[in-house]
Amino acid sequence: MNKIIQIASSRRTWAWPYVAFMAMFVVLPLILVGVYAFTDIQGHFTLHNFAKFFTHSEAIQTFLYSLMIAVFNTVICLLIGYPAAYIMAQEDFKTPKVMAMLFILPMWINFLLRTVATVELFNMCGLPLGEGALLFGLCYDYLPFMIYPIYNTLQKMDNSLVEAAQDLGASRWQSFWKVIVPLSMPGVYSGVVMVFMPTVSTFAIAELLTHNNIKLFGSLIQDYITTTDLLNYGAVLSLVLLIIIGLTSFFGENDTANEEKGGLV
Amino acid sequence: MKRCTMYDVRCTIVSLLLMFSVSAFAQSNLTYELKVGTAEENKLLTDFPESYAGQKVNITIQIVPLTETDLDFVFVHEGPVNGFDSIFAYTDESAVVWTVWRNNKPIKNRAQRVMVGNAYGTFEAYLHEQVDARHSQGWIWWLLAGLVIAGTAMYGGYVVYCRRKEKNLSSVEQEMLRRKRMGLRRHYVSQAYLWLLLLVLYAPIALIAVFSFTKSKVLGNWTGFSMDLYANLFTGKADAGLNSAMLYTLIIALIAAVCSTILGTLAAIGIYNMRARSRKMVSFLNSVPMINPDIITGISLFLLFVALGMSQGLTTVCIAHVVFCTPYVVLSVLPRLSRMNPNTYEAALDLGATPAQALRMVMLPELWPGMLSGFILALTLSVDDFGVTFFTKGSGGLETLSTFIYSDARKGGLTPELRPLFTIILLVMLTVLIYINIRNSKQEEK
Repeated sequence: MNKIIQIASSRRTWAWPYVAFMAMFVVLPLILVGVYAFTDIQGHFTLHNFAKFFTHSEAIQTFLYSLMIAVFNTVICLLIGYPAAYIMAQEDFKTPKVMAMLFILPMWINFLLRTVATVELFNMCGLPLGEGALLFGLCYDYLPFMIYPIYNTLQKMDNSLVEAAQDLGASRWQSFWKVIVPLSMPGVYSGVVMVFMPTVSTFAIAELLTHNNIKLFGSLIQDYITTTDLLNYGAVLSLVLLIIIGLTSFFGENDTANEEKGGLV
Repeated sequence: MKRCTMYDVRCTIVSLLLMFSVSAFAQSNLTYELKVGTAEENKLLTDFPESYAGQKVNITIQIVPLTETDLDFVFVHEGPVNGFDSIFAYTDESAVVWTVWRNNKPIKNRAQRVMVGNAYGTFEAYLHEQVDARHSQGWIWWLLAGLVIAGTAMYGGYVVYCRRKEKNLSSVEQEMLRRKRMGLRRHYVSQAYLWLLLLVLYAPIALIAVFSFTKSKVLGNWTGFSMDLYANLFTGKADAGLNSAMLYTLIIALIAAVCSTILGTLAAIGIYNMRARSRKMVSFLNSVPMINPDIITGISLFLLFVALGMSQGLTTVCIAHVVFCTPYVVLSVLPRLSRMNPNTYEAALDLGATPAQALRMVMLPELWPGMLSGFILALTLSVDDFGVTFFTKGSGGLETLSTFIYSDARKGGLTPELRPLFTIILLVMLTVLIYINIRNSKQEEK
């Protein structure tokens, strides 16, 4: 009894249930994705599923297409979002908080319902559904993720640096490209990661926005993983996605860490 | 002065061109040709997932002629829809499949369920509504064109007014005014950019909100003001699937939020008192579910439940929600801990309190705000989740709002009562956010 009280009063141990829970429901499942990818239905070790992936042209094509869509979407979000964040971070902009709130608010509505509403909007305007609708919908869903981090870094930026550049004879464009853009890079990096990761793994949105005509990698994974016989192959596809996600977050984190260090020096 | 005028001329030309292109575009898209052929022509079955293509499907096809001039026939397949069960899940209702053709190419193929003789009127009325919806879509382009004309006219009028006023000024004064106007223009252009972006961002939401006040089954078809959908929502007359989905969403969100708040708060206290190295490790572990996209979390948990042989249902969904909610609770409690005086808890122990008493009477009051915001965050995350729920809900018919919307949208239609439901959610969220904003700015003033 004494020992129990002793353990409980050392508050370090209070995280143990959580650590055990996470090990069981986060770490173990992620390991299982790998295990399933390397085994067949009977549970024997095999590389057959990987061989299938590299010879399965539909999967490879869908994968490359999803990557392309994700890159496109990220670029579009950046091109649209950066000016918006820049305008909001200007000193003479009077209501940045209200504006930021207005940009965040749509995210409180279920994203599927927003997607369905977008589809209906396209139908109402007589616009055809397809690639254009897909890009519009994706951009619409993830734009706030791009605006917010960029806005945060721009807002925290020391404005006297811009003034100094202009005092030293830089034009408006020069001071923008040589001072503001480099300083806002950490925000851009995290915005890019926050948009790219969900887009590359997106499912369900694509089929609604294109009436099932365009399939993204996420939907492909969904199809295979929910089919009992092909579960192991689905695990291979998930592993590929997991690697992409890992790489993205690794690069994103590295870059931001470096930038922050640079900022401190 | 001259440069400025040229600029205005350019502006006018561009907006006129824009207007014409918009109206031309509207014209080209208004010529809908609704034509439906035989089952083979429509390639009825190939529109559905491959896995159903090989199955034997028993459909009876009924051709319903309509009086609308541009709509010849509409296919209706009724009765037992064995092969479609998994897609429609409405064995007791009819479904209609229609195709929109343009230049002999099917551009749209939709399967829509039809409720015969219920609150939304007869089947035929429904078809007419569909046709009306197609017809009435022209107004949005006229509205846009009208807005552009009005805007151009107002701007032109303003420019002429300015010219008149400045005629008698000296050149220096005119130059000063020109500079001032350049600054103003930059301001207005940036404002207009933001508002345009917001307009696009809110257009679909506004569509839902506006059409929640009409009884029409199809989104985009105004059949007169009516509060019936709100009434249906609150009196439980809505779709039975929607009612149970709302109930399950609430139950799951509450269970997940309560569990993750308790687990996360304990974990935060533990992490805060850990040594640097293990703290770093647990923090990393904590960030994994936040980095993982929901499809990965969902699939990995799905594989775990398959490997364990657990039958999927309410329990598995709740576990999955606790997994992705708890990290956020930990992150909202940790800052409260670092603000707290670490000695008060020990002082309570020294004064003879048991750990439980010290926790309840010393720690909880301090951590309360962090726990509350973590709880609310968990609640909203759980309500909003789709990806994780989709993979862990199993096939026992458990649906939350997200998965209900998904299966509803795949069928082509959208249960009308969802419109008032989300309008209400939007209004509540708006109120809460405005309240938080006002409170924050008041605190800043202090």
